[in-house]
Parts: sequence; C-alpha cells; structure tokens
Amino acid sequence: MPAFLFSLRSRLHRPSRAIAGILILTVLLAACGSAATPRPSSPPDATGSLVPPITATPGPSASAAPAFPVTLTDDDGTKVQLTAEPKKIVSLTPAETEVLFAIDAGDRVVGKVDDPANYPPEADKVPIVGTFAGIDVEKIVGLGADLVIAGGSGGTPQDAIDKLRSLHVPVLVLYAPDVPGVLADIQLTGNAVGRSAEAEALASSMEAGFADLTDAVDVATKPKVFYETGDQPSIYGIADDSVYAQMIELAGGDPVTTGSATNWEMPTEKLIAADPDLIILGDSAYGVTAAAVAKRPGWSGLKAVKSGAIKPIDDIVVTRPGPRLLDGLRLLVAAIHPEIALPSAAPSGG
Amino acid sequence: MSDPILELRDVSGGYGRGEVLRSVDLTIRAGEQLAVVGPNGAGKSTLLRLMTGLLAPTTGDVRVGGRLLRELGRDEIARRIAVVPQVASLPFSARVEEIVALGRLPHEDPIRGPRPADRAAVAAAIERVGLGRLVGRDARELSLGERQLVLIAVAVAQASPLIILDEPTVHLDIRHQIDVMELLADLNTRDGRTIITVLHDLNLAARSIPRIVVLADGRVVADGPPEEALDGERIRDVFRVDPAVLPAGPWSAPAGRSAHVERG
Amino acid sequence: MTTGSDTVASRAGIALRLPPRRSPILLGAAGVVGLVVALLAGVGFGSVAVAPGDTLGILAHRLFGLDIAQTWPATAETIVWDLRLPRVFEAMIVGLGLSVAGATFQGLLRNPLADPYVLGTASGAALGAAIAVLIPVRIVILEFGLLQGLAFLGALGAVVAVYRLARVGGGAPMTSLLLTGYALGSLLAAGLAMAMYLSGAALRQIFAYLLGSFESASWGRLAGVVPIVLVASAVIVLRARSLNGLLLGEEAAVHLGVDVRRERALLLGLATLITAACVAVSGLIGFVGLVVPHVVRLVVGPNARLVLPLSALAGASLMVAADVVARVLGEVPVGVVTAVIGAPFFLFLLRRTQRGYEL
Repeated sequence: MPAFLFSLRSRLHRPSRAIAGILILTVLLAACGSAATPRPSSPPDATGSLVPPITATPGPSASAAPAFPVTLTDDDGTKVQLTAEPKKIVSLTPAETEVLFAIDAGDRVVGKVDDPANYPPEADKVPIVGTFAGIDVEKIVGLGADLVIAGGSGGTPQDAIDKLRSLHVPVLVLYAPDVPGVLADIQLTGNAVGRSAEAEALASSMEAGFADLTDAVDVATKPKVFYETGDQPSIYGIADDSVYAQMIELAGGDPVTTGSATNWEMPTEKLIAADPDLIILGDSAYGVTAAAVAKRPGWSGLKAVKSGAIKPIDDIVVTRPGPRLLDGLRLLVAAIHPEIALPSAAPSGG
Repeated sequence: MSDPILELRDVSGGYGRGEVLRSVDLTIRAGEQLAVVGPNGAGKSTLLRLMTGLLAPTTGDVRVGGRLLRELGRDEIARRIAVVPQVASLPFSARVEEIVALGRLPHEDPIRGPRPADRAAVAAAIERVGLGRLVGRDARELSLGERQLVLIAVAVAQASPLIILDEPTVHLDIRHQIDVMELLADLNTRDGRTIITVLHDLNLAARSIPRIVVLADGRVVADGPPEEALDGERIRDVFRVDPAVLPAGPWSAPAGRSAHVERG
Repeated sequence: MTTGSDTVASRAGIALRLPPRRSPILLGAAGVVGLVVALLAGVGFGSVAVAPGDTLGILAHRLFGLDIAQTWPATAETIVWDLRLPRVFEAMIVGLGLSVAGATFQGLLRNPLADPYVLGTASGAALGAAIAVLIPVRIVILEFGLLQGLAFLGALGAVVAVYRLARVGGGAPMTSLLLTGYALGSLLAAGLAMAMYLSGAALRQIFAYLLGSFESASWGRLAGVVPIVLVASAVIVLRARSLNGLLLGEEAAVHLGVDVRRERALLLGLATLITAACVAVSGLIGFVGLVVPHVVRLVVGPNARLVLPLSALAGASLMVAADVVARVLGEVPVGVVTAVIGAPFFLFLLRRTQRGYEL
C-alpha cells in the first residue's frame, strides 16, 4: 500500500515508536486483507463525517462473504465466539460508542455507557446502561444484548464482565495503550459487528491522516510540553510511556512526564527543573484557567508562565481512543506548533 | 453423723510461685452449716476456689461426696456444688425468673432446654427466697439486697446439696444481712442443704452459724463452735484487734470462760 | 427459660404466676413470613420491569419444578433466576450469618456493643481485599477470585492473631480479647489506609468492597458460602446453653457447669468463620450484626436458644429488604442503607424500654 510506504520513508530519519507501531498495524491490516475474499472495487463510501477521502487505498465496500460465525481474540487475550452478526450491541466505553457510529453500526447500538462529552449526537437517544459508578447488568440482559464491548484494564469492572459472560453474553474487552492499538481496536470492532470493511477504511484513513500530520511537524525544534491532567489535590501530569506522551511526541513535542509509569502526580520541583516551553491544560474542562495557573506559588518563574504559553485543550478529544483521535492530534499540533499550517485533508467532526 | 460432703486433705494451693494455702485439712458433713472467716489475705478466696475446682491443689486431695474433685466433669460438680458470688454484672437486661432459670443449666436438656420440672423448680426457688413479688421485673432495677437474693435463688434452683457463698452480705444493709442469714439458716434446717459461707463480719458469723473455721496466713487456726473459735485470744492473735472495741460476742467473755451466745 | 408456665407452677403446688414474654413461636412464624415477603420483594424489584405474574411463574417453574406454560420472555427468566435470585439468597445468608455471629460475640464478650467485626475481622478482611486489588494477578477458583480468598484469610488471620496475643495463662479472657482486637484492628486499618493510598486507579474497587454489595452474587458463590454459614450457625445454636451460662460472668458459668475455655474457643471460632465467609463475598456491611440481636433480645429476653434463631430470621429479612432499598434508590451501597434503617429503629426501641418494663 503506497500510503504506508510513503509514511515509512519519511520516518526513516526519526527514531520513533511509531515505526514499530505502524509496522504492526500494517501486518494486521495485511492479514485482514488477505483473509477476506476479493471485493469489487468501488469508490469509498461515506463511513462517517470524520473520515477524509482516501487518496491511495481502494475503498472496499461490504464484503459479500459471510463473516460469521467468528472467534475473535480480545485485548485481554480472551477468545470470544460470535455465532451470528450481532443485532443488539452494548458499548461500555465512550470511545467504542463513537467507533460503532463511525463504522455505520450505530443503528444496532441498544445501550451505552454514560458519556460526559455526549458524542456523537446520534447516540444521544441510546439508553444508558452504566455510569462511572457501575454497570447495570440487569438492564443489559433485559435489552437482549448479543454483544457487549467493554473497556479493559479496569475501565469496565471485571465483575460485570464476568457476570455477563456467565450469562452467555459475548463480551469483547478492548484496551488500547497506544496509537496503533487504537487503530487495531477499530478493526477488531468492525470485525465483531460485521463492518470490517468500514472499519478498515476508517483505520487506514486515520493512519494516513496521522502520517500526514507527523510529516508536517517533522521539525528540528521540539518544544518541551507539560500536559496538565489535574490540579486537585495536587498537580497531575502525564505518566511515562502513556498515550498522552506518545501523542505529544507525534505532535512534535517533547513531553515532560512524571518519571513513573504508574504515578501521575507531578512533583512541582520536577516541573520547575524541567521548565517547559508550553503548558497545555488538559483539565480546563474542570475550570482551570491560564490566569489561575500563573498565580500558583512557585510557578511564576516558569518560562511558559512568563511568556503566557498556557493553552487549554479539549482533553477528551486528545485521548479518547476512537475515531476522533486524529482530531486530537490536530489539536495538539495546533497548540504545540501554531506556526505550522495543518494539512487541509481532514475535515474534522471534532 | 452424716457422710462427709466435702473433704480437703492436706490441701495446698496458690497462684504462681507462692503458696497461699498450706496443708489445709477440712471435713464438712452433709447438713452442716459453716462459716469461713479470717483477715484479708488469709486465703479465704483461694480456699473457695480450691473447694469448687476453679483452682487445682498443688498437694492433697479435694473430695466431693466421696469422689475426687479432679475426676468430676464440670457439670457433675455443678450438680453437687452451687456457688453464690458477691455480685454479678448483667450485660443485657433480664427478668428475675430468667436469671434464676440459669440455676437449672446443669439439669436441663442440653439441646431442648428446660422441661416443665425445670420451670417448676425455678418458680419454687423464687418463692423460697421470698422474691415472688419481683417476678417479671428487670433484674437491673433491683436493689443490691434483692439482687443478692436472686443470686441465692439461682443456687436454690440448682438443687445442689452443697451451697457455697462468697461474702453474701458485703453490700447489704443490716436488715438485708439478717434476712440473708435467716434464709441460709432456713435452707440448712428445713431443706437440709449444707451451707458454707465466707464472712467478713465476725458478729454475724458468731451469732448465726454453729461452726466457724478461722483462716490465718494460709492455715486453719481454729475450727469449732464460735465460743471456741472466736474467743478473745484468737481475736487478738489473728485479727490483731482488742476485743474490747468489738460489739458483744464470744470474745467478750473473760479469758478462760466461754460465753453462751444467744442465737437467733 | 420460663414462658407463662403458671399452670405448671400451680401443679407444683406453688401459686406463682410468671408473666410471659411474647410467644417465640408466633415471632418465629412472623419471621418466616417476613422472610418470604422479603424474598418476593427482592426478586420482584430491579432496573428492568418484570411483570409480577412472570416473576411468580419463573419462581414456580425453576424453584419448585412446577410445569407451567412459560409465557415470559427468556431475558426475564435470566434476570430473575440468574441475577436477582442469587443476589437475594446471598443477602439472606449474609444477613443470617452476621446476625448469628453478632449475637454470639455479644454473648461471649458479654458486651451489648459487640458486633461481628469486634475482634478485627473487618480490618483483616479489608486489608486482604486491598492487597488482592493491588496484586495484578487474576486467579479464579470455583467462582471465587483472589479478592474473596484474601478477604477470607485476612478476616480469619486477624482473629487468630488477636486470640494468640490476648492469651493469658490458658485461655483468653474477654476484656483482653476486646482490647487486643481493638488494637490490632487499628493497626490493620493503618495498613489499609496505606494500601488505598498506593492504589491509584484501583481505589474505586477497594472502596466498593468496603461499602459492601451483593452485586457479584452467583449460584456458584452461594454453593461455597451457604453450607459454611448454615452449618456453623447450626452448631452455635446447638450450643446456646453455653452462651446462656455466660450471662452472669465467666466464673459463674464455670460454676453452672459450662466448660468455659472450650466453649469460648469453639464459639469464637465458629462465629469468626461465619463472619469471614460473609465478608468475603459481600464486603463490609455493618449494623446488622449489632442491631438485630440486640433488638431481638429486647423482645424475647436474653435466652440464646431464642435469640440466635430469631436473629437469624430477622437478619436475613432485614438484609434482603436493605438490598431492595439500595437497588431502588439506584445502587446505593448496602452498608449505607443498613445503617440508615438500623440506627433509628434501634434508638426507638431503646427509648421504649427506658420508660417501662413491658414491651
């Protein structure tokens, strides 16, 4: 696939995790592609307002071959058996809700988890079966769900997942620790709901968009960026190797991290020692403003505070592991490299 | 002379390293009434514990009804000996009859609980100590005197031939002291129960009880009727008190002559 | 104990009328009725509406094997049989267990303020659960996970430690047990606080355990917990005599023929086993073990032969009712509901008895 080759070539002189990730992604996509039977070639369908028109990849449409029954392996390593195409899907992460609607499976979503961002608007009418406080297993059973997509690594309580599985409801647990993982999960979702082609189209267009963006910010200077994720009870930044750190790197920045992979608390002394060029307020949704930041004791000496380089951002879009991740990257690039003209290819719906 | 109901032969006992009681020989026959007196630290409580099996003797034997105490099970001992403590605290509120019913524990069916005979014995015991009017009352609301009578009723309900009381008159006013002593004498003469009472009040002991055992420094120093056991010399030696300061009693007789003390 | 036996007394030639407390048989029957009502309420309520007729039909069919026309949707049957019924039964067994354990501890320690957690069971279980949450390993044996296992062991371990530390001479006197339990409980609570501090994102899980819930009930879990709790409770009830003997004190009990040392160890062990099993599956639900036996005692007196079985019935019903209320209010933690139900009722009853002798 030419798009892939193009991105690989331009990355050769930038050591980045992205290379390995893209390689894995490519292998995955290739595997999916070879497994499917030959499809008639037709212009890419509109799979959602988020996806830019694909330039190089021939857009596949719905496969004529039966995709079910199928056994899929979820991100926890569990083998999930689907005997038929799911007609009643329940999404337990806001990201999955976005993905399902983006790959034209939104009409089959009968239940969703509460989403503070309430996106996409078409999902508004879907009944809520869970909140941060817990999952209502009874409601899910009552809706007759035949596929539940849950969040891994504690996103959805393990008890609820076990309970649903004990009642013979297929549960697919997804967890994407990095950008390539997000794209892989989109593909996995598509396979699970019989929208493999749409998912592949979305994933590859996102991949192309990532490539375009990372090329555009391929600059020598990478400003030091501190991404604040919270300020109560103490200042929270981003952990080492987190998705945040990856995204900032992809956006052409040098992330200031907490120094630990599990602890997200940012010691103030460490921050002052790092003296970032830019502070991005991921917690702006909770009312944290640039003015408030400037008033914090000990912060007035920071470069970013003195130059006023404190920018709020929509934290949800930046990190939600769904179709809008590309938009998140655009937001980051806009914040970190305002001088760069973004490729116009992506009409973002974010 | 009736059979011995409790025998201590060369019994010594104590806690830890020290021996509190040394070489005690005591034989109590069925139907006797006996008081154990002595100054503080003489070993009265230890003697009680040895008698009831709460403490094992370091030397000697304790026999109840001819059988070695240490060979009897706790419930067998309970059917032979009832112990009335000075005072008992109640964590929950309980009615008088519910407390007295505890006396039937050694007799009732372990699983099914009290039978009609047990219930009758409880009612009888309450009547016997004169607390019929207090039935249905919460025991926590009773006066100290009434509570002591309840504890005695427990022992009566227990229907054991031997009743041991540990200073039953300590918290009582004079009226109730006399009531209790009269009740004990009645239980002895009418029901034939053997009564052993530890008393601190020498006067009370001397007036109502025919046999006094005097303990001092862990030994029995006197064992006999009050006029012998509690004469003036004994009072001076054991209790280290000038008998002249005490109210009239067997110790009031001039040395060498025993006074006849009116009982009643 | 006496129950209106004036005719017997007069047969014995004594004109003594012993006034009865409320008939225990009537109370027992009321308890059973209450339990059935609670069960029906527990199975009938939920976030999905199931027609009452369907609910009864499903129960009749699955519970009693009656052959009826199955007119209800399959999802309703799954909800009633696989989700609600195990939950109701778990609430019953935990309510029963905690009440029996509470009554036993109150009788053993001769302290009306004792509850099943008084010897450090709660702190031990909570610490075990917190450690399980922090360990990134998933072990599931017969539907019991690492959390249940470590909570169970933590509860048992705490009491064993307390017993060992409180030992003076041959046995462990009650005041010593109480104080040692308090001290060890504080130490374990400190450990729990540390674990919670280190837990990060898993804090929510630990907290959910602390507040207690019956959400993760299943037939498999019931198969493990029910036999333990029922058998241990039955053995305690059969030994009610020993608890009665302790009413006037440990020495008095010995004089009444109770082998206090043996009975204390045995009853302590059984009550702790029951408590550990309950907290392992449902988390820490307070108040039931304290209030239910106390209330029962206010009505039927201190006789353990009555207090234990009636507390079991009342505790089971109360717990189911609390769970229904918790669900109806939107998955409020059960422990909050038991406190809100239990405390005012208890105060009300206490005030009544302060005023007079009759209830």
